[in-house]
Formats: sequence, structure tokens, C-alpha cells
Amino acid sequence: MTSLLEISRVSRDFGGVRALDDVSFSVAEGEMVGLIGPNGAGKTTLMNVICGLTRATEGAVVFAGSSLNNVRPNAINHLGIARTFQIPKPFVGMTVWENVLTASLFGGRRGRSADARRAAVERALEIVGLSPRARVAAESLNVAGRKRLELARALAMEPRLLLLDEVMAGLNLKEVEAVMGVVERVNGEGVTVLLIEHVMKAVMGLARRIVVLHHGQVLAEGTPEDVTRDPDVIAAYLGSGIAYEGQDAR
Amino acid sequence: MFLLQQLINGVMLGGVYGVAAVGFALVWGVMNEINIAHAAFMVIGAYTSFFLFTTLHVDPLASIVVAMAVAFALAYPIQRYLLNRALPHGLVITLATTFGLNLFLENVVRRVFSSDYRSISPSYITTSFSLGPLTLPLVPLLVFVLAVAFTAGLHLFLERSSLGLAIRATALNRVAARIVGIPVQVVYAFTFALGAALAAASGTMIGTLQSIYPGMGDAFLTKVFVITALGGFGSIPGALVGSLILSLVEVLSATYLSPNIVDFVAFSLLVVVLVVRPQGLFGKRFYGEEASA
Amino acid sequence: MRRYAFWLWLLLAAGLLALAPLALNEYWMRVASSVLMWVAMAEALNIILGFAGYPAFGNGAFLGVGGYTVAVLMNHGVGFWPALAASVLVPGLIATAIGVPVLRLRGHYFAIATIGVNFALLSLIQNLGFTGGGSGLSVPLYPGSAEALSVMFFYLFAGLAVVSVVVTQLVRGSRLGYAIRAIQASEEAAAVMGINGTLYKVAAWVISAMLTGAAGGIYAYWNGYIEPVSMFDIVTSVKLFIMVLIGGAGTVVGPILGAVGIEVVSEYLWSTLGGLHLAVLGLIILLAGVFVPRGLLSLRFWRRRGRGRDGAPTNRTWGVDEGGGAS
Repeated sequence: MTSLLEISRVSRDFGGVRALDDVSFSVAEGEMVGLIGPNGAGKTTLMNVICGLTRATEGAVVFAGSSLNNVRPNAINHLGIARTFQIPKPFVGMTVWENVLTASLFGGRRGRSADARRAAVERALEIVGLSPRARVAAESLNVAGRKRLELARALAMEPRLLLLDEVMAGLNLKEVEAVMGVVERVNGEGVTVLLIEHVMKAVMGLARRIVVLHHGQVLAEGTPEDVTRDPDVIAAYLGSGIAYEGQDAR
Repeated sequence: MFLLQQLINGVMLGGVYGVAAVGFALVWGVMNEINIAHAAFMVIGAYTSFFLFTTLHVDPLASIVVAMAVAFALAYPIQRYLLNRALPHGLVITLATTFGLNLFLENVVRRVFSSDYRSISPSYITTSFSLGPLTLPLVPLLVFVLAVAFTAGLHLFLERSSLGLAIRATALNRVAARIVGIPVQVVYAFTFALGAALAAASGTMIGTLQSIYPGMGDAFLTKVFVITALGGFGSIPGALVGSLILSLVEVLSATYLSPNIVDFVAFSLLVVVLVVRPQGLFGKRFYGEEASA
Repeated sequence: MRRYAFWLWLLLAAGLLALAPLALNEYWMRVASSVLMWVAMAEALNIILGFAGYPAFGNGAFLGVGGYTVAVLMNHGVGFWPALAASVLVPGLIATAIGVPVLRLRGHYFAIATIGVNFALLSLIQNLGFTGGGSGLSVPLYPGSAEALSVMFFYLFAGLAVVSVVVTQLVRGSRLGYAIRAIQASEEAAAVMGINGTLYKVAAWVISAMLTGAAGGIYAYWNGYIEPVSMFDIVTSVKLFIMVLIGGAGTVVGPILGAVGIEVVSEYLWSTLGGLHLAVLGLIILLAGVFVPRGLLSLRFWRRRGRGRDGAPTNRTWGVDEGGGAS
């Protein structure tokens, strides 16, 4: 499997704060990689760098052979990268359907036909289970609904790489399982996934490989088993003696 | 030498601009309110002094205090009971609202005093000193000294008094201020009234230097806008530095380009500063605005 | 509003407007022409303000640009219709040139920048020789009787108002419309969803500039004389703003109501109060901003749409994006 996303020595400073410090790892095509770490570790900042909302102070991000440095976010999206936001940003004033349509119309790889784009809207809504609520105002959705909408918009763009930012946060157990199912299905269809998560059950259950960030640096990298046994990771984030369901839940 | 004289004139004028700008910047910084009616309060100040001068022969520089008091008394209830309600709806609504207030107040003044140009000319208006080859006219000099005194006074007030502390706390974090028991609605009203008083003071000062007319506030407000953009919205030291820069730019473009082009230069400067460095020289990020990720 | 319902209403309105000169005397036609001019400009402003969410506080300047384009061209022998066409294009070009840098600014900064542009253009026109400077410019008079003048300009303004409303409706359902509505909701989300923010924002502003410019062009010919201070009056810009706000920003019908309401009130005040009419107008604006800031139409609109998160009313504070979380 070739490397789809290559992050090389990426650093990002905000005034005096080093949010990302020499971060390097890669994601292969078709992989599902989890990105975990305590709050403030730099996970969302890294995602912002990848999708172009923030510029890296140092280092490079390469996607499918093209450099993403200094490329505008909408252009990065057109290369095939889609992301969801930790705090959902629905297009208020439009219906659910219009939200997803907007994403499909403007987003994703160039060269998709008008028919394909329209079909992608229906499909995305169906995958996340929002079809019955398609004509509802986006504003009126609750948290779980908004998260699904975030996901639907990303999926409607038929991306090669899907960046999920805490898509499970705030969901109850049933909802988490439902979304996990969607993500599994999508990955199974060939979409590469990089997901930030705090919900351990989800990360351990979904990701084959995990990268741990702490204070902007890569603390550990490996399979879920390796990472959860790593003493540094335990000290920084997991806490010793924590019972995670990862290994058995798969 | 001529240039130096012009620069001195510019600096003295800058002092007056400073008083006008500082009040404006204060209101903006503390409550995120762009007070267009700042112009009206300048006019009110000028006309109050004019009135006192022509009817009771009160010296204008003395009547500044009265002008400030009038503006303060008028402004406090307006903010407290009216404008405070518009604040939560965002800056743009408050912009429109204070615009309406401005329109109202200015036109009332226009009705009472007519649009004719008036002047306040105390007997010593033509006195001036010579300092070598330079001339320092007395009135602008006095005004400049007053302006410095006012800004220093404001600074002391904000730094040393407990009310000043309350104002600064509210500016930094409105929610936290409420939590520690600061009556934010009152602080807003007081700050607005203080800004109005400073506007009135600057109005009187300008009234001693130039003729006054009901539209003068608008003309000066536009300069104040440029100053706060230069210095940084919400920043008081910024307002001072900005005033100096603007008055110098004005003096220089009037001398080297043409007096008519001064306004155009000022506004182009405004737009350029906003595009290049919106927070100006000293400005903090807009009140409540997150730093971009 | 359902698509077909809109076109039905439009047809009805157009029909009424076409027949109006039969029923109205010259005074009322003048008032109606003025109102229709404001309707056209308010709808135009709505595209950048209501749909895109960018508070263009100085849009009235385009009225001046359009007016001066017509005045200057006609003084050089150009006919009215080509001059009018130019008065559509020139503001568009200016909006493109200024829009690219200025539309990068958010909310407050953008509002102030447009005010700066408004005043900069004012002082520019005051100082250029060929614009007649501060004393203004007269425009070749319409060659026809007073009645013909009255009717012709009524139709011109009515036509422009209809065009403005139609353009707004078409934009709303178009690709541009989706893009700017997305931008208003969340510029960041729009960007990562492939929307080129600058392109669409500028397009929106250019359209609003062109329609406003046309109004200025017609006005110049109608009035026979223009001068800088009234053509670039900041009060015009703010009035437009208030009209859109009070009527309901972001709806197609809202600005029409706002324009008619404010202009009718304005006319009434002017005719009854003369000198104090601005003071009363100011008072109205003040009280409206304090007590009905969300606009009359949008009050109903908001309740129908339902409330936002946490049950709080949806917060429209122009240009302030929500912050992200820390991760």
C-alpha cells in the first residue's frame, strides 16, 4: 500500500506556543488511523494544517504526491480531502438536504458529473441515516443529528481521505455504535480515514494504527495494543489501570 | 523651517484629535460599540461652550467642564436604558442604532442653532509666542496642554481608581466581570458617558480653533475612524499614536500635495490599514473574537 | 416562498406597476418612483448583506458612481441608454477591484472599510475636474414634456426594481446563492467544502454594486443635476442598511417591505416636518435598532424556523465565526 498522506516534520507556532512540534507520520491508502492525545495536544491543529485552514510554520504535508503547503483550503478539498468539525458547523438557514447538496456541488474532486453529484447527496444521507429528515432545517437538529450532517457533507464529496474530528463526542452508546458502523463501511469502500477521537471504544474498535500526540509531539505510534501498553502514553493520557474495551470489542 | 512649523501645528492639532479619539476608542474597546453619536456629543460640547460664551461670557476653556457634564448627563441614561439593549445583537446593529442617535441629536442642534457657522473667540485668541523662528499661538498651545492633561487624567483614572478597574475588567472579559459582581450594565453606561464627555471636551477645544457648525462632528468622526484604525481599535495608547500620525499625514499632504486631497488620503489610509493590518498598531483582537486557528 | 408563488406575485406586481401611471398624479408618481428606486437598491444590498452576511455599510457609494458615470458620459455626448449601460458596468468594475482585498475582512472591519470607501470616493469626486468638483454636474435634460418625463422614469425605476427582485430570487437558488449562504453560515466550513470564498463574495458584491449603480444612473438623468455630497451621502448607505435590517435580511420580500416602509415614512416626515425630518428619522432608526433589531419580517421568520442550539435564538452577529475546540 502506498502512502497517501505524508506528514513530515510539521510544526506550528502560535505566538509563543508551539502547538505542533516536528510531527511526522504517514497514512497509507485505505488505512484507518486514529489520532489520540490529551486536550491541547495539537490534534485539531494538525487537522487544520492538513486541510489548509492553518499554515504550518515548518515542515510539509504531501497528499498523493502533491504538496499541500500554502494551498488554499478549497483547493485542498478538490484534491480529495474532506473533514468534519469537532463543533459542527452546519449551514444554518438551509435544510439538511441543501447542506449536503452544497457540499456535493462545490466539494470533492473535480470532474464529477452533475448527476454523480446529485446521486452522492442521496447516498450520503442514506448512509448516515438522515434521509427521513432531509427537508428539516439544519439548525433544528440536535447534537447527534449535526454530527451526522457533518459526516454526510463529507461523504457527499466522495473523498479519498476523510478527516474526522471527534465525530463521536457527545453521542450516547447507541449513537456511537451507529456512527462506528458508518465509518467502517466507508473505509471498507476504500476511503482512507484519519480520525481524532477521545471515545476509546471507538478508536480502539476502528483504528488499525494509532498515533498519539502530546504537547504537539508524536509520543507513540503503533497498533492499539502497542499504544495502550506504552508506559509514556499511559502516563500522559490513558492512566494506568484504565479498562479499555478495545481489544475485546473488535 | 516652514516644515517644522507645520509639524508643530500638526502635533498640536494631533492633541485635540487625540482627546476625540480616545473617548471613541474607549467605548469601542470596553463594550464593542462603535459610537457614531460620538460626533453629536462633540457638537453638543462645542455648542454648549458657544452658548455659555455668548450669553454668559464664560471662557471656553473653563466651560469645558460644563460641556462635559452636559454630555455625560445626557449620555448615561441613553446607554443605560436604550443602547444597552442593542448591544447583544452585535456590532452592526449598534452601529446602525448609534447612527440614528447621531442623526437625531445633530439635527436637534441644527434646529436650535441653525446651520450657520459660529465661532468662539475669546479676547486672547490672537495671542501667540515666538520661539526663535517658530510661532506658537496661545490657544492651540493651551488646548494641546489640556489635551495632554485629559489623556493623562483618563489613564490615571483607568489605572488607579476602582471604577477604572471595573471598566478594564469588563473590557477584558465581560462574563468574568459579571461573575465577580461588577454591574456590567452600569459600567457600560458609565463608559459611554465618559466617552461622550471626552467627545464634548474635544468639541469645545476644536471650537476655539475653528468655526463650529452642526456637521462638524461628522467631519471629525471620520478622522477619528481613521485614527482608531491606525492605532488599533479599542486601544487608548493606539488612539494617541494614531492621532499624531494622522495629524502629521494631514499637515504633510496639505503642504506637499493639496489641501483638498487631505480627506481622500485619510480615507484611503483607513482602507489600506484595515486590509493590511486590521488591528492597527496596538489593537487587541476584536472583543470576543477568537484568534484564528 | 414557493417558487411558483413568487413568480405569480411578481407578475401581479408588474401588472400593477404597468398600469399605475393611469391612476397616479405627478406627485404620487414621483413618490412612487423614489420608493421603487430604494426598493431596487435595498434588494441589491440584500445580496451582499442578507445572503452573504457581509455588512456593506457604504453601498450607497455605488449610487454615486453610477450617477456620475451617466452624468459625465452624457455631458460628452453619449446617449442615455449606452450611458446607463456604463453606469451598470463601472460600479461593477470598482467593486471587483476593491472587493478582492476588502472582502477578506470580516464583519466589523469590513463594515468600516466600506464606510472608508464611501468617503474616499466622495472626496475623490469632489476633487476631480471632470466631475465638476464640489459644485456638481448638470445632466442634459430629458427631451420631452413633464408628463412624459414623469411616466418614463416611473417605468424605468419600476423596471429596475423588478429586475432587482428577480435577480435576488434567481441568485438565491443558484450556485452563487448556495455558496454565499454557506459562507454566511460558516466561512471555514465553506472553504473546506471546496467553495472559493473570494470569488463568490466578490460576485455578490459586484451584482449589488451594478444594480445600485443603475439606480444612480437613472436618478442622474431624472434629476438633471447631481452633486457629490448627496450622491455619496453616508445617510443613503445607512438608510439602505436599515431598510434591509428592518424588512428582514436574507429574505427576498423583506427589503421590499423595509424600503417601502422607511421611504414612505421618510417622505411623510419630510412633507410634514420639513426641517426636523432627519431628526425624527434618526429617532426611528434608534428605536428600531433598540427594540426591533432582528427586523419585523425576520421575527416571524425566526420563530417559524425554530430556535438554535440550547434553545437560544439564532445569533446573527455578522462576521464573527465560532471558535473551534482545543484538541
